[in-house]
Amino acid sequence: MHRVRLLSPAVGLLLALWLGAAPPVARGQGPDGAYAEELVAAARARSLAAEVQWLRLGHYQQRLLGGWESQADGPGFFLAEGGKTDPQAELEATLRAFFAPPAAPSEHPQCAFPARLTWLSGQLGIDPARLPRPTCPGLDEYRRRVRARGVTLVFSSYYLQSASSAFGHTLLRLDGAPSPGGGTGRELLDQGVNYAAESDASNALTYAWRGLTGGFKGAFAYQPYYYKVREYGDFESRDLWEYELDLRPEETARLVDHVWELGHTWFDYYYADENCSYHVLSALDVASPRLDLAARTKPIVLPADTVRIVWRTPGLVKAVHRRPSIRSQFRARAAALAPEESDALERVVSAPAAPLPPALAPESQARVLDAAVDWVDYVHAKEILGNVPTPAADAKQALLVRRAALGLPSPEPEVSPEARDAPHDGHDSVRVGLGAGPSSSAWPVVAIDFRLAGHDLADPPGGYSDVDELELARVELQWEPAGPSTFRLSTLTALGIRSLPDFGRFDRHLSWELSVGATTLYDGGCDGCLAGQGVGGVGLAKSLDAGDRFSVFALADLSIQGAPDLKGISGGPVRVGLGPSVGARAVLLDRLVLLATGYWWWLPGATVSSVWGYELTGRVGVGRFAIDLQFRAHPLERLGLARAFFYF
Amino acid sequence: MHRIIAAVLFVSLASPALADASAAVKETEQAIKGKGRYGDAGCGLGSLAFGTDPGFVQVVASWLNTTLLYNQTFAITFGTSNCRGIAGISAARAFIDTNREVLAKDIARGQGETIGALTWIGGCSSSRQVGSVLQRSYQEIFPTTDVSSDKVADAILERMKAEKALQCIEFGS
Repeated sequence: MHRVRLLSPAVGLLLALWLGAAPPVARGQGPDGAYAEELVAAARARSLAAEVQWLRLGHYQQRLLGGWESQADGPGFFLAEGGKTDPQAELEATLRAFFAPPAAPSEHPQCAFPARLTWLSGQLGIDPARLPRPTCPGLDEYRRRVRARGVTLVFSSYYLQSASSAFGHTLLRLDGAPSPGGGTGRELLDQGVNYAAESDASNALTYAWRGLTGGFKGAFAYQPYYYKVREYGDFESRDLWEYELDLRPEETARLVDHVWELGHTWFDYYYADENCSYHVLSALDVASPRLDLAARTKPIVLPADTVRIVWRTPGLVKAVHRRPSIRSQFRARAAALAPEESDALERVVSAPAAPLPPALAPESQARVLDAAVDWVDYVHAKEILGNVPTPAADAKQALLVRRAALGLPSPEPEVSPEARDAPHDGHDSVRVGLGAGPSSSAWPVVAIDFRLAGHDLADPPGGYSDVDELELARVELQWEPAGPSTFRLSTLTALGIRSLPDFGRFDRHLSWELSVGATTLYDGGCDGCLAGQGVGGVGLAKSLDAGDRFSVFALADLSIQGAPDLKGISGGPVRVGLGPSVGARAVLLDRLVLLATGYWWWLPGATVSSVWGYELTGRVGVGRFAIDLQFRAHPLERLGLARAFFYF
Repeated sequence: MHRIIAAVLFVSLASPALADASAAVKETEQAIKGKGRYGDAGCGLGSLAFGTDPGFVQVVASWLNTTLLYNQTFAITFGTSNCRGIAGISAARAFIDTNREVLAKDIARGQGETIGALTWIGGCSSSRQVGSVLQRSYQEIFPTTDVSSDKVADAILERMKAEKALQCIEFGS
């Protein structure tokens, strides 16, 4: 930015004169070419190309070694040759292009870049009477369709039963006028603006690599919001959190226009940082110069983190609304049933024609049938689509015929207003920790902990699901000040997932876990070796209360460990473990978590025939900190730690 | 920066979980799309943005519409074939087609958000009345599970037009 500002008006004028002598091709065409050049000179004199808003409109970022580069990668976004790295040239080319003859066969630049036009007009006082007046059928149609009165940021939450949702997703909704008469349903017809990547890789490694290195192209698209509700809420059972933003009318209009401009380009898509959520924030920054949201993202941009960035911006969020997924709707309906209604529900979900007890009042029958239909939609989301007769679709049809015959309207399900999992209440996803304590072999042991992203079952529970754990790149180092060695890698979790949904009367999902990383072993196979480790397990979890605050789980694990000094299978460096792992968890007062986990694995063919371990953890969240007390036990080691964690 | 982050994450994430993610996303879209019911790409942001210019821009537009917006299902706007407005009969057909599974439920319940949307599209006077009228006709609208969405839309529109008290002006009643 400084580079351009260094140009004094005098130098600018000289430059203007010099550039004015450039070949006529570069000049504005049409009857008012001279006016275009006047504006270019004025823009130069005022260093408009160095203004933050121009740089935002072009998505320019400062390069490490000086100069600018736009994040946009599609050539259609730039009117100047080299416009991707030259905001000044792009601004001048834009001004000249606005004066192109209106009858040109291609889309007129005024139609393609309405937000640039509005901003430059405001800055330079461009006389509209002297501008060509092209017709913009596409832009007009788009504006008419959107007719935005406001903007909502939508967060599609995570639900680990569907792996693709692991980190959530954000999009924008352009809100039209409310329903006349205040009825519901208009929201569905609003336009969702979504930034997504083309991912055509079939191979997992290619997918991961290209996704992380910008190998896919990302672009904005708009579509009716109901597609998104169907996709996320109904098909994938993900709650949608809607944050109504307090934008001024001109900011909303600017966003609408800029989204249109973005339709002319694509961005190289980086799953880690320049992803959907990043570009949603940068579009909001363009709309509202008072914001600077994208600059507040971290090296890894997780959708839930961006929601918190928006949430913590004073005065930006007007209202929050949760749109319950089909799973949440079913759970709410099932929870509202009386015991005899629950029994009836159990009968009709297994046999849709089963008679309901004659004693049930029609309203009560309606409640049972409503819950049963939601159950079919939730459990058989894939089988009920379209007009394909499947057993699930037939069951749903039978239930709906019965339901319609009752002739009563149903109230909307009462979804718990508590919403302990509201994403804006969650802790930030990067965690660092420091602490110390005694071990059976040394005192003290200092532990340093770092986690790139995620949430574990003992972390402060607000804002997260109580039954899911997802950790990415967690490292724990240990150091014994009194000992001979320096830092020792105690644990490395590249990826750790636990999904422990309540195995309920109606909601019968298995629990599972998967982790890949390395850990230090303390057993007869090797005392103090760092071993690579992979663990997978399947089992059941049971919540002891309706809110998943108290739960127990048991899984059957299969593990593999390897280290050069390990006495594993036939004394070799690898061993395989088979056996149960169990756990219990309690959340008290919404901020104290008690967690106990343990395992016992049989090691077939290994020098030691079995191995075990357990951990007892108590952690209390205080603001952005947590205090943690933990005791760990392994066959040859005991360790107690008192630690503090900080989330940012 | 990109490269450092990429390298760190690649090690962490090059796991089957991500492959599942890719497959699951595709599967979702395929499933909701059904048999290409909304596979009409004429209305994508690409085509709207770029118009019908010949040459390179056209290639880019068609690439945007066919490749990049692989989820053409979602990229099209109202009206399955002709980008009509957000109210009226073609908008209603597009809406019914996409929301069939939820609409069936709301009609049987005589109430719900999709009834509200349909009321809005039709410019009708009261969603409560629309819900009640459609609820009474559930079996005519959804006689079997394999009835086509076109037939469902025909029946719904016919009922809404026929019931003069609903005053669905956008449907021409």
